[in-house]
Amino acid sequence: MTLAQRGRWVTGTALALLVAVYVRALVFTPVERFQGLAQKIFYLHVPAAWSAMLAMGLVGLASILFLLMKDYRFDRFAAASAEVGTVFALVMLTTGPIWAKPIWGTWWTWDARLTLTLFLFFLFVGYLLLRGAVAEASLRAHYSAVLGICGLVLLPFVHLSVYLFRTLHPQPVVLKPSAPSLPGSMLATLLFSFGVFTLLYVGFVMQRYALALAREARGDG
Amino acid sequence: MADGPSNGGYMVAAYIVAAAIVVGYALLLSVRTRKL
Repeated sequence: MTLAQRGRWVTGTALALLVAVYVRALVFTPVERFQGLAQKIFYLHVPAAWSAMLAMGLVGLASILFLLMKDYRFDRFAAASAEVGTVFALVMLTTGPIWAKPIWGTWWTWDARLTLTLFLFFLFVGYLLLRGAVAEASLRAHYSAVLGICGLVLLPFVHLSVYLFRTLHPQPVVLKPSAPSLPGSMLATLLFSFGVFTLLYVGFVMQRYALALAREARGDG
Repeated sequence: MADGPSNGGYMVAAYIVAAAIVVGYALLLSVRTRKL
C-alpha cells in the first residue's frame, strides 16, 4: 500500500470518527446553561485551533531540522503541514466568529488573541505563496524555512495572549497548568474531538506529502 | 431542549461550515492523489 493510499485510509477513518464527534457533541453532550447551544461550537473550534497550532509548530521544527541537516524530507513535510494547517486555521477562523456573534454580540473584535490568530493564518498563506513564487528548490526551501521558524516563534504569543493582554477571548480550559475546568462529559467530548482532529491532520499530511513526492519525481516540485 | 439562550442556528451554521471545509479538502486531496 502506498503512502497516499494509507493517507486516504487514515483520513477516511478520521472522517468517520468526525461524524461520531458530531453525534456525541450535538446529542449526548449537555447544553451549557449560559451560552446555550452556541457553546457546542467549542467542540470544533478548539480542536481546529489545536490542529492549526500543531501544524505550524511542526512546520517550524521541520524548518529548523532542514536548515541544520539539509534533508529535503523535512522541507517536504513542512510544506505538507503548512497546507493542512491552513485548512484547520480556516475552520478556526470561521467557527470562532459564528460563536462570537451570539455570545459577544459581534462577529469580530481586534483583541490580541483574535488578531494573532488571524496573523497565524496570514503566515500560513504567506508560506504557501512564497513556496509557489520561488522556482529554484534550494532557495524555496531556505526562504520558506525562515518563515516557518517565524511561525513557530509566534505560537507561544498566540497561546499566552489571553494572559498577556486584556482580551475578550476565553482563557484555556484544557491546555493550562491547572486541571481542566470543564464538566466530565464536556471534557470527554472535547478530548475525543482533539484526537479526531489530530488524526485528520495525520491523514491529510500523509496524502499531501505523497503528492509532493510524486511532483518531485515528475520534476515539477 | 436548551436551558440557555436560543442560538442553535449559529451552532448549526458552524457545524455545516466546519464540515464543508474539512470534507472539501479531503475530497480535493483524494482527487489530487487518486493515481498515487
